[in-house]
Amino acid sequence: MAQNKVNLLKIEDLSVSYGYVKALKQASLEVNEGEIVVLIGANGAGKSTLLATVLGVHRADSGTILFMGDDITLRPTETIVASGISIVPEERGIFPSMTVWENLQLGAFHNTRDAIKNLKRVLEWFPILAERRDQVGGLLSGGEQQMLSLGRALMSSPKLLMLDEPSLGLSPVIVTELFNIIVDLNKEGYAILLSEQNARKALECAHRGYVMETGEVILQGSAQKLLRDQRVRQAYLGG
Amino acid sequence: MNLFLAQLISGLALGSIYVLLATGFNLMLLVARIIQFAYPHFVVLSMYVCWYVLRVTNDNIVLAILAAILFAVFLNIVTQPIFRHLMRRREEETDINITFIVALGMSMIVTDVMSHELNEGFAIAFPEAWAGREAFIRFGLVTISMGEIFTLVVGIIAVIGFFYLLYRMKLGRSFRAIAEEPYVARLVGIPVTRMGIYSYAIAGLLGGIIAVLLSLLLGSASAGLGEMVALKVLAVAIVAGLGNLLGGLVCGLFLGIAEAMVMGYFPGSWSNAIAFVLMLVIVLAKPHGLFGTRV
Repeated sequence: MAQNKVNLLKIEDLSVSYGYVKALKQASLEVNEGEIVVLIGANGAGKSTLLATVLGVHRADSGTILFMGDDITLRPTETIVASGISIVPEERGIFPSMTVWENLQLGAFHNTRDAIKNLKRVLEWFPILAERRDQVGGLLSGGEQQMLSLGRALMSSPKLLMLDEPSLGLSPVIVTELFNIIVDLNKEGYAILLSEQNARKALECAHRGYVMETGEVILQGSAQKLLRDQRVRQAYLGG
Repeated sequence: MNLFLAQLISGLALGSIYVLLATGFNLMLLVARIIQFAYPHFVVLSMYVCWYVLRVTNDNIVLAILAAILFAVFLNIVTQPIFRHLMRRREEETDINITFIVALGMSMIVTDVMSHELNEGFAIAFPEAWAGREAFIRFGLVTISMGEIFTLVVGIIAVIGFFYLLYRMKLGRSFRAIAEEPYVARLVGIPVTRMGIYSYAIAGLLGGIIAVLLSLLLGSASAGLGEMVALKVLAVAIVAGLGNLLGGLVCGLFLGIAEAMVMGYFPGSWSNAIAFVLMLVIVLAKPHGLFGTRV
């Protein structure tokens, strides 16, 4: 597990505010190559804000975001995506009136060269998407939509895959399947950063974790350590 | 039967122009989030440019067409920063109504310029050779002009080409993605701002083609034409459902044919009144348009 400590994403003292509301307060975080890192915390703890800021959606008040050694803090979203970070948005974020095929192609916006090769791999991962190729995304089940969203994120050949609350609104069986896929993807070489309220499932498959509360990282460590931590158990694992 | 056929052809020609206008209008609405009411006015102003170039170059048709298209693209792109500035100040929560007011102002300026400054405010008439007034096909008393045939053919090719772009090409796919889920489109890595500018350029290109076709079909233009066409385009877009591209296609063609039929079978100038009565009835019955709004 994560023996090679090559740093992929490094966030240092990142602060973000919406108007007068401080959404992130000097949060620091790292993702190394080959790792699954999970962000746990309640609704509004700043997990989604952190992911969106990495993608350049929100402007940081202070702090830096380094990706493979490059400062990407103030870069526009499209440049950041093109450089190798992709996201599976909260509530899946597929384009409901567009076909499965079109949804996947949109993921390859910056990487048309490898589109065919990536598509083949995505369809190997998610054979259901090949069957549903010409169906519009809105007609898929929740689990299938999540597969579509994941497949779309993989179409841009990312090095870092971010997932924002991937288990939200999915049945327990599908959630288990989803986390299996996440682990498999990680074994294929994708580094993964995910935010989750389903803390137990997420920590069981992750290498490391960060606990966030009201915009701050209050706790961090290996997944095993967090699973045993008294405070984590009480607040997020139901005692 | 002959009359019906002739009116059907001229209706399809007119209808394809409405479709192109409604689609250009919807494109800017969906991708750049503006209600560009002045778009048809820009088209009419481009007709003036076309006419002027024909006059000074002694009827050089190629130059006139090029000038109209380039002018329409230019006009659409230079007005774009004004809207973009408005949108930026509003940040995430874009107030689309304000863009409508600004566009309305632009349309009034264009109309005033045409009615005071250009050709001393008189209507312009395109030369015979250009307008293709001579009969192409004649059935008894009914004639179909060269201009109508040309407008029909080019209009339909342009509609097909444009819908091909929207539904089969990467650019169009990105446009529709932004239209449907602007935030997700951004997360996926689509350069949303750049796409907005492309939508203006493409709508401008379309506007130039429409200007050429409209001058062929009508053979003349006046300052009031922009207003009239703009109201119809807005009506088509609303009746179809704002932002509904396929709905605009159906309703645009329908309006063109309906107008031509009314012109063929009813006395004179009732076509506009009938168009707007129809719109009123439809919007009262279906407030989101026949095919549903997409904005």
